[in-house]
Amino acid sequence: MKKSSGAFLIASNNMHIDYVKQAVFLAGRIKKYLDLPTTILTDAVDYLNDVYDPTVFDRIIPLNPSGATNEKLFFDGSMYQRQAIFNNRSRSKVYDLTPYEQTLLLDTDYIISNNLLKSCFTSEDDFLIYKNSTDVAQVRNEKEFEFISDTSVDFYWATCIFFRKNPVNKIFFDLVQHIEQEWDHYRRVYQITSTLFRNDFAFSIAIHIMNGFQKGTFAKEMPGKMMYTTDRDILWELDQDELMFLVEKKDYHGQYTPMRTKGQTIHVMNKFSLNRLIDKEIG
Amino acid sequence: MSQGIVVLAQNLPDVNYVDQATLLAMSLKHTNPKTKISIITDDEVEQQILFDHIIPIPWNDDAKKSQWKIENRWKIYHASPYEKTIVMDTDMLVLQDISTWWKFLDNYKIFYTSKVYTYRGDIADTSYYRKAFLANNLPNLFCGFHYFEKSDKALEFYKLLELIMQNWQAFYEKFLEGVTRPKHVSVDVCVAIAAMILDCVPEITNSNVSFPSFTHMKKNCQGWEDSADNWQDRVGFYISRNCEIKIGNHLQSGILHYTEKDFITKSPVVERYRNLVNV
Repeated sequence: MKKSSGAFLIASNNMHIDYVKQAVFLAGRIKKYLDLPTTILTDAVDYLNDVYDPTVFDRIIPLNPSGATNEKLFFDGSMYQRQAIFNNRSRSKVYDLTPYEQTLLLDTDYIISNNLLKSCFTSEDDFLIYKNSTDVAQVRNEKEFEFISDTSVDFYWATCIFFRKNPVNKIFFDLVQHIEQEWDHYRRVYQITSTLFRNDFAFSIAIHIMNGFQKGTFAKEMPGKMMYTTDRDILWELDQDELMFLVEKKDYHGQYTPMRTKGQTIHVMNKFSLNRLIDKEIG
Repeated sequence: MSQGIVVLAQNLPDVNYVDQATLLAMSLKHTNPKTKISIITDDEVEQQILFDHIIPIPWNDDAKKSQWKIENRWKIYHASPYEKTIVMDTDMLVLQDISTWWKFLDNYKIFYTSKVYTYRGDIADTSYYRKAFLANNLPNLFCGFHYFEKSDKALEFYKLLELIMQNWQAFYEKFLEGVTRPKHVSVDVCVAIAAMILDCVPEITNSNVSFPSFTHMKKNCQGWEDSADNWQDRVGFYISRNCEIKIGNHLQSGILHYTEKDFITKSPVVERYRNLVNV
């Protein structure tokens, strides 16, 4: 029997960033490029129903407001920044919440532009995640995405994960939840100086533990390589599968080089510029 | 055929290499209880029970005036009591059963590892320490762990190694560019030159395999951006009662080359192994 499959997005708005908008936009692209239904977990169900077309989603799961006070700086290019709440404490619950046997868990700022991720669903491996990534700028130090700290464990991206429901993956997500709950302990043990909880770090630590504190085979690589632009870059144009970025120049603060991609799925960390272009796209 | 591990240990006033070899023997007794280990030394060995043979350095001590005490390394071939020998540096610990490594080494008359690992299990970038190798295109061989089977081929190799080590300045002059020449004899460089002269690199190493090898704890090949005077100040070292070792967040396996001479006095490693193997 064919296993049920779908994508899962989490959207929790703050004062400055409309993640629900990104989720609506991404759900459309998931349907277009991957032909998958999408479930959304959000604390803004009414807002979603009032402002957007909720039928882009297969299911809408309400999320209780977390009351979290995780705050960080969000950049819009290198010259503009805003401090805002960062509600990222629900990812570990996705195993229990997803209605699918096979789930593609994505950040809402992951712009799907091809069908590469479809191959996850025919993979023999039950847990896939990106370890390898490339900064499209190619001039920045990428070391922060190699290890979670200088002396600590391998970095994995929680941005895009594929998993099937099975007992091992259940243990893994429970472990992530435990790490999240005891974050202050784990961040010290893993030499992370910042107090900010990051899913990338929690997932990386959990993978390391699942591997018996060594290199191991619990997590397999997602298809291809994850491309990303940081929030110091600006997404300038978005037309179907063609994206144009202004990429910050090395050693020239606030100066940019234009760069175009076609048919390339990209993690766009500048959420302000992404939302501006979504506004244009969906009116 | 007889087989075993051989180490060469010559104490310095401030470094007790025999103590390091004793610790290595204890680690071996724990993880590979049937594997024999012999020590070549002119120094006193307290825990003689741990060693299969205690062998005096043959043909006088070539390293009497040396600070590095490596001039006698070529003699290991001749002094080894085994037909198949793994040679290890004294500052190593064997953390797992290596019986499959012996089986793999049956395919070779001589074997040197050509890649080593960081404490995180990544292939170590040793270029910081291997400038002479890079500048002169020498094969990247590591003597810290190597193997030979007594044979015509291995004898030829070791005879040439003897010649190179005893005339290292002349060989450095011929094979190494001027500015890149080490100021002292290096057994790794001499082995690389011997391999180059005999044109036998593919026969004595295999870059496609992940073992036999070792974790090389020299601080500048760990992939760190921030440096420290030594690795022990940069990452934690933890040893459990049953001598499982973690460095930082990483459980260690294989062979650990801890490199820093104060490791055995700064950490509780000797006490833990003594309790475990009851010596």
